[in-house]
Amino acid sequence: MKKRVLATIMSATLVVSMLAGCGSAATTEAPAAEAAPATEAAADAAPAADTASGDKLSFKIVVKSFQSSYWQAAVQGVNQAADKLQVEVECNGPNAESDIADQVNMLTNYINGKPDGIGLAACDQSACLDALQMAKDAGIPVVCFDSGCPDAPEGSVLSTIATDNYGAGATAAENMYAALKDTIANASAPVRIGEVNQESTSESITQRGLGFIDKFAELAAADGKKVAVVGNEYYVNAAKDKGDEATADVIIEVAVPAQTTVELCATEASAIMNKSDVLGIFGSNQVAAEGILSADENLGKLGSKAGENILGVGFDAGSIIKAAVKDGKMFGAVTQSPLAMGRTTVETLYAITQGESVSDVATDGYWYDSTNMDSDDIAPNLYD
Amino acid sequence: MGEVILEMKDIDKTFPGVHALDHVSFDVRRGEVHALMGENGAGKSTLMKVLTGIYTKDSGTITYEGKEVEFHNAREAQAAGVVIVHQELNMVGHLTVAQNIFIGREFKKGFSIDDKKMVEESKKLFQKLNIDIDPSATMSDLTVGKQQMCEIAKAISHDAKVIVFDEPTAALTEAEIQDLFKIIRDLREQQLGIVYISHRMDEIKVITDRVTVMRDGTYVGTLITKDCTKDDIVNMMVGRVIYEEPKTKSMVAPDAPVVLKVEHLNAGKMVQDVSFELKKGEILGFSGLMGAGRTETARAIFGADPKESGEIYVNGQLVDIHSPQDAVKAGIGYLSEDRKRFGIVVQKTIAENTTMANLPEFMKGIFINKRKERKKAQELADSLATKTPSVDELVVNLSGGNQQKVVIAKWLCKNCDILIFDEPTRGIDVGAKNEIYKLMNKLASEGKSIIMISSEMTEILRMSDRIVVMCEGRKTGELMIEETTQEKIMSFATRDVG
Amino acid sequence: MEKKKTAAKKSKQELIVFLVVVALLIFFCAASPSFRQYTTILTIMDYSYYIVLMAIGVSFPLITGGVDLSIGTGLVCYSLAGGYLIMHHGWPTGAAMLVTILFGTAIGVLNGVLIGVMDLPPFLATLCTCMITRGLGSICSKNTGISWPTAGQPGCWFRSIFKLDVGGTKIPLGFIWVLLLAILMHYVLRHTKVGRYTISIGSNKEAAILSGINVKFYHIMAYTVSGLFAALASIAYSAVFKTVLPGTGAGFELEAIGGAIIGGVSATGGAGSIIGTFIGVFVICLLKTGLPFIGLQANWQQIVTGFVLIGSVMVDIIKKRKEKR
Repeated sequence: MKKRVLATIMSATLVVSMLAGCGSAATTEAPAAEAAPATEAAADAAPAADTASGDKLSFKIVVKSFQSSYWQAAVQGVNQAADKLQVEVECNGPNAESDIADQVNMLTNYINGKPDGIGLAACDQSACLDALQMAKDAGIPVVCFDSGCPDAPEGSVLSTIATDNYGAGATAAENMYAALKDTIANASAPVRIGEVNQESTSESITQRGLGFIDKFAELAAADGKKVAVVGNEYYVNAAKDKGDEATADVIIEVAVPAQTTVELCATEASAIMNKSDVLGIFGSNQVAAEGILSADENLGKLGSKAGENILGVGFDAGSIIKAAVKDGKMFGAVTQSPLAMGRTTVETLYAITQGESVSDVATDGYWYDSTNMDSDDIAPNLYD
Repeated sequence: MGEVILEMKDIDKTFPGVHALDHVSFDVRRGEVHALMGENGAGKSTLMKVLTGIYTKDSGTITYEGKEVEFHNAREAQAAGVVIVHQELNMVGHLTVAQNIFIGREFKKGFSIDDKKMVEESKKLFQKLNIDIDPSATMSDLTVGKQQMCEIAKAISHDAKVIVFDEPTAALTEAEIQDLFKIIRDLREQQLGIVYISHRMDEIKVITDRVTVMRDGTYVGTLITKDCTKDDIVNMMVGRVIYEEPKTKSMVAPDAPVVLKVEHLNAGKMVQDVSFELKKGEILGFSGLMGAGRTETARAIFGADPKESGEIYVNGQLVDIHSPQDAVKAGIGYLSEDRKRFGIVVQKTIAENTTMANLPEFMKGIFINKRKERKKAQELADSLATKTPSVDELVVNLSGGNQQKVVIAKWLCKNCDILIFDEPTRGIDVGAKNEIYKLMNKLASEGKSIIMISSEMTEILRMSDRIVVMCEGRKTGELMIEETTQEKIMSFATRDVG
Repeated sequence: MEKKKTAAKKSKQELIVFLVVVALLIFFCAASPSFRQYTTILTIMDYSYYIVLMAIGVSFPLITGGVDLSIGTGLVCYSLAGGYLIMHHGWPTGAAMLVTILFGTAIGVLNGVLIGVMDLPPFLATLCTCMITRGLGSICSKNTGISWPTAGQPGCWFRSIFKLDVGGTKIPLGFIWVLLLAILMHYVLRHTKVGRYTISIGSNKEAAILSGINVKFYHIMAYTVSGLFAALASIAYSAVFKTVLPGTGAGFELEAIGGAIIGGVSATGGAGSIIGTFIGVFVICLLKTGLPFIGLQANWQQIVTGFVLIGSVMVDIIKKRKEKR
């Protein structure tokens, strides 16, 4: 063969992903002079926490990506707090949430720059562990936000600021179950509940997915129904009780696309929604929820009437999901408070540099639907 | 023979370090076939490239149809009616015959190409040439001979007045050559001027009117073909009488051991129930017409093509050959008829090519021992008299004959005792040819055994100790050299084996 | 005589692929009751448009013996750029579409110049533009996901190019457009100079040069076609899906190239037909849409698709080997 095009193509994808990774990680800037350890700055708690040399504190924030407006809101919160506290922050993140290696690379670069603190939203729970050890050895405090790193080396992560994702997933399940309770109770044949998760590697997504599964199963079991969990291996195995599909009254089907793209999420969603016994479907983040809405373009099955339509439940906000919730296409969604999370991250990092002791902060997930989305306690959290 | 249509006078061309053309003159008349001969590197191609504007001449004049001209590229020359039919066919295999003939100057109908008209025009053209080819056939489906006919048709469709044939018969069968000659004679009838470049002395005698010989970039002389002998021409080409004496009797002792025995070999239609023996130190000629299955037999023995049945014994032992690796392990080397495709890697050095089949012997750990490799290559190059400044030369820079020697060196390096030469002198000029003959005789006298596949009757008669003749995939005869005549071979080669 | 043989050979390949499509349809219908719905057809159509368009385009570089790896990330990049103009600068959809198309064509010309004029290996050149477009896409969109106007918003008319809503029934109108484009490009490949010389370059570049063909120009043309169709694909993608995410797109090109090769485009250049490509893409799309229906997990879907590709390339190679013997 004159040109080995196929071999070429194969290696091309490899190289592309590798090189693209390097490219996006190259934005670190020079470290802000000497680190200002807690002891030095502890005496003075004034907002302008300048060190003796006149340098501002410098924090680095690593987000999962900028793919969804969720992260834009988080960065906004970070910047608000930074302005208030007069510190320097720099935010960065990989191109896509599935670019785990890129993110680790970015994190390592930041650590090498010896900043005063790092805020991290880890794409992968375990991939960052080595880097966190490095940070600990270098004496750089790390605060995790959005997603935690439960297995992080002792003392490396000083605080985790995250939505109680498991609880937020459960919130979605509670609201969906409440609407479907009667339909499920009266069903003569097994019914199906779908769930689309964009991946099975990050803590936030997996916890949400499992929170939904476990809560829904618990509620159904309490009403005397047998529940089975099928689909993606990770979720099936991690669920509290995976049940037996053959005898189940309620089947929870979990799908995970091979890559984090809207069209693959939509493909998975439409495969589930095409089944005749589906009552509801949950998309555990903005991309997954938008995938469900994309899939419904053709199917037209989503709506707010339990039993008649498929009840779609989303997560997070964004203009598309907000519009869908508003006109009743999507039954409801759970939102977090990315703005507050971003703000709290910087505030916590600041507190650490001031020598204060900090602990984990759990922020809540709030249920919203067409009835309450304009209310004062919900609306500010619904970013575009 | 009419008046001079094209005259090149005092053409001089120097490349850095080489005086490629030293005041060469050459002319073609209307209605003649003028042979241009010379060894490789004599300057024939350079002269033709100067003619068609691929090279710019340093001095001298070209007069075409009474006017001094200078073409700047092949297209300009074509437009004026001077066309080259290249040795390597320049056809687009995936397109049809008609599409190829009119490539670059398609008939158009609005935005789209008018294929219908192209087919019609091609038909007319073929009728004029008396060729039977379907213009709508895909080019790659045609035989090499027919592709060449298309190339000629393409040349003529440019309204050519002078056609240069560059070794046109190198890849043709006997029958196709006859067809080609008929066309060339027709063209001569139509008062075209024809330049005919070839190494085949027999053809020169048959088809040409005049012969111009070049040597080392200089003009040697021009002869009237019918008034001269082959030896006259050869003498002019090389300046010395050269041919190895033809064999009159076998050089192999009757009791020499059999090194290769093939029994009832079957591999597709082209190899049916072939059995023969090869003795130590023997040159066994394989004769037959194109498509007789000789190359296929060789490839099946060598494991390059799968065989269906049959046994192969090397030195009396049954060997199992499923791939060329197996064959090489058994001590069989194969010199392909298509060197460039199968025999050598032209973009590598002589040394690298020499050790290619036997690299493990030149390894030092995971590295190649370059010094050892070079030494061995030099040794072999010396013994084969390969003409090269150094073994670090790229093979692509060598002449055909020397490339062939590199392939031989490769198999000698691997210590192969059985060598299959498939058309060993194809495309090689007379001088180099004779060197290859000498070399084969030397190898045989040193105890190597050689199978030589050749379509040239003179070569078969000159070299072989014994001759196997094939026809349509079967062995139809076997002759000792003492009893062989051309007629006997032909009668076996055309035997109806039904 | 010989003509009939070759013509039959060509259409046979297309027929075989078509039968594979039919067989897959029957298989999925039999295996999954939920597959047997009109909406499934709509879904398959939706997901086919952008791949078909990319595949039509990339067939041209493939037939020259090259490849265009930049179409996947290019698609996302063009869509992000166009969408950003609508979302954040209030451009009308039509103008944004025009920008998208010009952007794609420009990248195509760039590829063509790098390969045809500067003589870069196609693999390398388009790999570089692949990286460039991936980065450019993120920059164009300021790193956020972009949505082209959705139903009800002003400027959403372009979505009905691909899917028309007639009283609640959705008509996959896009199929007609991509089919027409495929037929048009089939004709271009077979019966115009651009097509003829694309084949010539892939089959025997040397012969094309010696025949006086401006090989550089037609090389550029082949990649320009590829870029243009990547841009058309980008519009289809924006119309079908709600959001376009920066950083994605790598891998789309493999589906398009895979479809083209299944459809009979030779992996070594010189041969291929656009109708074949068109049908070949549906093999990929059917697998992509159908496999989740029979409960196959995502990673397995990719494995199956990979093996189908290997299979079709093997068929191509075996066929060639047989012809040679």
